[in-house]
Amino acid sequence: MRKITKFASSVALGAIIASSSILADTVKVGVQAPITGKYANEGQSIDNFVRLLVDEKNAQGGLLGKKIEVVTCDDEAKAQKAAVCAKKLVNEGVFAVIGSYTSGATEAAQTTYYRSKVLQTSDGTSDSLIEKKYWTFFRNSFPNSAQSDFTAEYFVNVKKYQRIVVLSDYSSYSEGLGDATEASVKKLGGNVIFRGKIKSGTQNFTATLTKIKAMNPDVIYYSGYYTDGGLLRAQQLQLGINADFVGGDSNDNPDFYKLAGDSAKGTILINFPTPEILPYKEAKKYLKAYKDTFKIDPPSIWPVTNADGLRAIMHAVEQTKSFDTKKIADYVRTLKDFPGITGPFTIREDGERIGAEFVVYEMNNDGTKKVVSTK
Amino acid sequence: MDIFLQQLINGLTIGSLYALVALGYTMVYGVMKLINFAHGDLVAFSAYVGLTIFSQFFGASANSLFNVIIIFLLTALVVAFVGVLLERLAYRPLRTAPRLSAVVSALGASLVIQNAIMLIWGPNMKIFPSDLLPNTTWQLGGVVLTFTQILILILSAILMAALYVFINKTKIGTAIRATAIDQDAAKLMGINVNRIIMIIFIVGSSLGAIGGLFIGIYYRGLTFDMGWLYGLNAFIAAIIGGIGNIPGAMLGGLLLGLFNAMISGYISTEWAETFTFILLIIILILRPTGILGEKTAEKV
Repeated sequence: MRKITKFASSVALGAIIASSSILADTVKVGVQAPITGKYANEGQSIDNFVRLLVDEKNAQGGLLGKKIEVVTCDDEAKAQKAAVCAKKLVNEGVFAVIGSYTSGATEAAQTTYYRSKVLQTSDGTSDSLIEKKYWTFFRNSFPNSAQSDFTAEYFVNVKKYQRIVVLSDYSSYSEGLGDATEASVKKLGGNVIFRGKIKSGTQNFTATLTKIKAMNPDVIYYSGYYTDGGLLRAQQLQLGINADFVGGDSNDNPDFYKLAGDSAKGTILINFPTPEILPYKEAKKYLKAYKDTFKIDPPSIWPVTNADGLRAIMHAVEQTKSFDTKKIADYVRTLKDFPGITGPFTIREDGERIGAEFVVYEMNNDGTKKVVSTK
Repeated sequence: MDIFLQQLINGLTIGSLYALVALGYTMVYGVMKLINFAHGDLVAFSAYVGLTIFSQFFGASANSLFNVIIIFLLTALVVAFVGVLLERLAYRPLRTAPRLSAVVSALGASLVIQNAIMLIWGPNMKIFPSDLLPNTTWQLGGVVLTFTQILILILSAILMAALYVFINKTKIGTAIRATAIDQDAAKLMGINVNRIIMIIFIVGSSLGAIGGLFIGIYYRGLTFDMGWLYGLNAFIAAIIGGIGNIPGAMLGGLLLGLFNAMISGYISTEWAETFTFILLIIILILRPTGILGEKTAEKV
């Protein structure tokens, strides 16, 4: 008997908690991002963009008449911190979480959100993020495999590189993109002469680069983040390795130029179209609003794709007239060509964003870059 | 062969930086029997101080050698002051307390400095300009040497030699060595132990400051938590060489740098850290006091 009352009371308590969060006149949205640490400028920008969109929505009367409240948790781009953030945000009662920036931190938090039926959308590009098939998760950027196919095509068929070196760090994103690129190049009959890894943050990459120098490569492809990419490029030229340097999407950050200094010139980047050249109506509107509010452009495309993730969720809430996360998730999965800031936003049934578009940029050393190829 | 020589240069450069930082650990340990865990963060702090002095007072103006020397001197001065302050606030009150309290205090000081850096300069990466020192490179056969590398190698060799002379040939050096052997006996001989400890912190912090500034100039990207990386490596270097032993710290630093470069170059970067610890364990098994450490009877 005691057991039954305990059960009943806990059900009742659960119902009260659940209904109170629905009946309250605010809803909470979480931001899980690296607010401090190496990738702080990306994380802060994600937070800024979410707050910008939420302020706009609140000014229009909120979401289904409820004011939105943003709760931010700093995961420092570390898996352990990400797991703590996930618990914290769930306890705060958020119905959806935007972030995180890195695949590793996103993956570490995924299960907690799934168990708590909280929506999560991230720019993490690691293919493994989708493989768990959590209905709570959808990606707001494009997966590594899309980028690696594009990169391989460019290497093998456009530039006709004969000797390709692929480097990554040990993060799940970078390792995944490096592996995928190696596989895509091999599929096209290209020649990967070395597949190496560097340890992010160690700053001294001369040992690995010296080893590479002896192999006389045509191109060094780096699939990690800008904080290491800029140094790699500088140290590459310092050692007199005259190969092209091609960076994957996460090298596209103003800090890359600063780290590489004069060596940035001639670096090639493969990424989405960057924010400032996005041709869409929404892009012009929101990027101007962002610049007006924060007096600075977003450092890269990633805060913008996360903003699209939030816009998709808000759109789904309004269309389904519900905060039931299952309904929202189901609706998001039917989105087709939703007008995103980063272009048409289409989500496949497994939560994957499809319709990737990539651009090849060449950098000048003053931080500007020009489009050299779109295929 | 070229590749091997290049790895040698790479290893010696980073090894010199480790050695400069390791000297701070080893000198404090030698005299106070305390592992100054805040030393690595002081090194990170000095890189930030150097960057600030550069951008505040020199801006984009011509980077003459004179300016660079001024930046180094000012940074060493500021960091030496902070080092002395650290000793006054975190270690002196605990000098007679059990050793564990001082170690905990050191760890606390490390966190305080790290967070202070974050609060002062922000959590984002700060970046040293690439044109502070000339970007000249020399090609000798297949080996490439940069101006910064040569400066690091030469200057750290000079500093280490100067320190060696200072400790072994001067009166203050003799007092430092006496204090290291027995503080109470040194006091009875009229040595002002407080002053000696202050000198230790000034010298150790200044060397760390120069190391930190070089790290900033050579690698450019500064993060508030970078002190941990260099601190840990320098600490291991000090232990390998024999903690408390000044030539040992230099040797340990160079050895660790070389060892790391060779493992990363010929085996894999993945294993470099693992092998570092394996080396540490082997050395501690074969020579528990480090390579140059003396065998002394433990009094405790």
